[in-house]
Amino acid sequence: MFEPTEQGKDISIHSGVVLRGANTREDDVHSTGTLSIVEYTFGKCLEWKPTEVSVVSESQDQDPEWSLVNTHTRTRTVSEGTDSLGRSRTVRILLCDLKSFRINRSGQQLTLMLKDGTNYVVYFQLFNADSFVSSLKGFLKFIKSRKDRNMYIVMEAEDSVLEKSFAELDLFQENASDYVWKFVKNLHDRPYETTMEACSKLTDILLHKEPTRPVEEAVADLLNRSLTLDIPQPTILNVAGEEYEVIGEPGVSVVLPPRPPCPRGAPLTQEQWERCKDTDGRITNSEALKEMIFRGGISPTLRYEVWKYLLNYYPWEATNAERIELKNKKTEEYFAMKLQWKTMTPEQETRFSDFRDRKSLIEKDVNRTDRTHPYYHGDNNDHLVQLYDILMTYVMYNFDLGYVQGMSDLLSPILCLMDSEVEAFWCFVGFMNKVSTNFEMDQEGMKLQLSQLHSLVVLTDPQLAQYLDRHESGNMFFCFRWLLVLFKREFNANDILMLWEILWTDLPCKNFLLLVCVAVLDTEKNVLMENRYGFTEILKHINDLSLRIELPWTLSKAEGIYHQLMAVAGLLPDHIRVIIGLEPQLKTAIIDSEEENATAEPQLDVNDSRPSHSTGSGNVIFGNNEVSFERGINLSYM
Amino acid sequence: MRKGKNKYGRQKAFKMSASNNVAGGAPRVSNFPNRNSQRSTLLKVVILGDGGVGKSCLMNRFVSNHFDEHSFHTIGVEFLNKDIEINGEAYTLQIWDTAGQERFKTLRTPFYRGSDICLLTYAVDDRTSFQNLALWRTEFLYYADVQEGSTFPFIVIGNKVDVPESEKQISTEEAKAWCLENGNSPLVETSAKDATNVEAAFGAAVAAWARLEARLERPIVEDTVDLSKQQSPHRTSCCMPASTAESNKVI
Ligand SMILES: Nc1nc2c(ncn2[C@@H]2O[C@H](COP(=O)(O)OP(=O)(O)OP(=O)(O)O)[C@@H](O)[C@H]2O)c(=O)[nH]1
Ligand SMILES: [Mg+2]
Repeated sequence: MFEPTEQGKDISIHSGVVLRGANTREDDVHSTGTLSIVEYTFGKCLEWKPTEVSVVSESQDQDPEWSLVNTHTRTRTVSEGTDSLGRSRTVRILLCDLKSFRINRSGQQLTLMLKDGTNYVVYFQLFNADSFVSSLKGFLKFIKSRKDRNMYIVMEAEDSVLEKSFAELDLFQENASDYVWKFVKNLHDRPYETTMEACSKLTDILLHKEPTRPVEEAVADLLNRSLTLDIPQPTILNVAGEEYEVIGEPGVSVVLPPRPPCPRGAPLTQEQWERCKDTDGRITNSEALKEMIFRGGISPTLRYEVWKYLLNYYPWEATNAERIELKNKKTEEYFAMKLQWKTMTPEQETRFSDFRDRKSLIEKDVNRTDRTHPYYHGDNNDHLVQLYDILMTYVMYNFDLGYVQGMSDLLSPILCLMDSEVEAFWCFVGFMNKVSTNFEMDQEGMKLQLSQLHSLVVLTDPQLAQYLDRHESGNMFFCFRWLLVLFKREFNANDILMLWEILWTDLPCKNFLLLVCVAVLDTEKNVLMENRYGFTEILKHINDLSLRIELPWTLSKAEGIYHQLMAVAGLLPDHIRVIIGLEPQLKTAIIDSEEENATAEPQLDVNDSRPSHSTGSGNVIFGNNEVSFERGINLSYM
Repeated sequence: MRKGKNKYGRQKAFKMSASNNVAGGAPRVSNFPNRNSQRSTLLKVVILGDGGVGKSCLMNRFVSNHFDEHSFHTIGVEFLNKDIEINGEAYTLQIWDTAGQERFKTLRTPFYRGSDICLLTYAVDDRTSFQNLALWRTEFLYYADVQEGSTFPFIVIGNKVDVPESEKQISTEEAKAWCLENGNSPLVETSAKDATNVEAAFGAAVAAWARLEARLERPIVEDTVDLSKQQSPHRTSCCMPASTAESNKVI
């Protein structure tokens, strides 16, 4: 944080406020402080200062305001606002950097969104966010978003400047003659840019358009190329043999029915689990179990047992005796592989650079994996050694894949839960079997998922898709981290366990993870669009969502989207059907036979309701100007 | 089109936002320019180097002045903005930090486009990371589409100088020799852990950029900036040449 030398003037103070930003350290997350509006010569700031909290044994706190928070703490504002290491913990945000803010549903939480895409979340413990927002009114001009009634958009200085007459518009804010002189000088040296710069200043104000972003366009262009799949895209041939690309140009756009509510359930209990075991210990009703797990996750104490099935370490139908046998066999196998690298001599290593590289990368990453989690906390922690040993053994298990960054993220929760090297290893193998394409050299697995995600957004929310396309973000690169490590960095240690076990059920459909992504994007849509975020801001906003996504809500939404898709399953283009695990329809047959009767152009009209296409849903309609190109399918796709 | 810079032209921005700023620092490197009366020059900075050399730590030290020994390795790309003022000129540094592993190369390289400054980073206790500097430099030049590579402002950063002498594998001399052979880039030895020279490194980077700009406008500028750990950040900033804008005011 910057430290102004001057003393600011407090204008408005609100206490009992917790603040969290993307750069806020863990230990700051739980501390309370005051949020004020402070005036400095360089402008007005929002300023958050932590309050020092000291535990007072039995004494009653006299301050009625604070007794609401915790009767056993005495608080006072630290004048210097520094932590034990002397680091400043004060957070200061210039009001002119504020782009918008949003009050959450409960009214206790305020998200501040800055122009560069940075977010801060403010939790009001004592008041409502509204009271703070009204105190902002005197200092900021803002308007309510038309799309999201909880969101407020700060009017740009330029916006209000427009209200002034053009004559009093102080365009350059510096000494006019200086500016002109500089302009002339620069004009001589670099005429194009100087003129452009001055002009852009004007257009910025007059059109209040975002400046053009040639760099971002170039970056996005290259990124698109990097993210293009090497395998041929599904293409669809029409009668004349012309190709129509499916991705990005959906032949049929389907209007989805309203999203049904999908309440979450309770976690699978020990009792329910035991009921599914027969006398020999076989799991008899795994499909019903998976349903329950999908609906509500697994009780924490039961995870240790159930995960081994979900991760294919134990087959569902194994008896108690078979499992014991399996375990012995797998234990032996593990230690045999472990011995392979353990016995590598230093001389051997000098001639084995692939091995050396992997080893050194694992060493580095193990030290940077979930170290704030109690299980991996502190120096010389044995669990780090286990993390290392498992990853090294995995290198021997699958040398072609080796170690790729991100794998340690996937292993860490598993080891923490299993607390056993051998079991964690085999569960990790099971997990990797599901997601190893994410880590392959050519990155095809990641590219495919990103392009599938884009297709899903195009179908479920064309408006958002169009916005992303127009803001250099159609490649969905900003979701890369979500997909690579299955949201590991986005959720806290508890939530991630639940999300993963739900994903491992493979319910309700294939690639449900992508629908989870669509759900999060749906939640963020208004923020992205109302703030007119571009490529870099979108990337930053999505990066900063880390630890701020509400899991149950997102899961319900994702399931709702699944039901929306299924309601029109018969109308979904094949490339979408394939993503969610439905058979492609190869609609040629239907249309051709119809054509034989009608010899009409294969165009679907808004009013042209065709019974053969609707699968019992009355809500299905076609949008305007849609043409069906499903004439036959390129066999390379199959 | 101007030498040593990207072909997209410089973006000047009204008050580019940056909420994270560092306390303290050199007298002439102000962390909080008076943005009501100034426009800042937006410079795109990329930090490159092997995994684990401390790229993210350097960025976080510079932008938020904190060091988290156990922060995660980077997945994808991240960036932070930071406003600084050097010799009266306001800059907004848009700092891009990517993942170092080869596997993710194709997703990293697009972000080199349009860079103004490149920090080539190694760790003084990791010889491999030093040996790979040349690869990073080549990769950058190839993908950044810089017109004249030799004049691009590279800064070489030897991070983790706080480690005990016995663990160091790269001496300052050896690193200097490499720099001399590779475009004579300035070398700064830093520690993100104890904050040694971190601001100086970014300051030197901007200075190198400004120097190139100035040289293009006034070819006679004589400058030798030698930054090494013996110098305090305070002295570093004094080495910074007059910026273009200042020279304009002088005229
Ligand atoms: N002693 C010391 N350790 C450091 C310093 N800077 C970083 N580290 C440590 O080095 C490790 C790697 O730092 P990161 O910043 O994550 O490295 P990176 O270059 O961003 O790595 P990737 O994200 O994998 O490309 C961390 O565990 C840090 O604690 C430093 O100045 N001194
Ligand atoms: Mg990093």
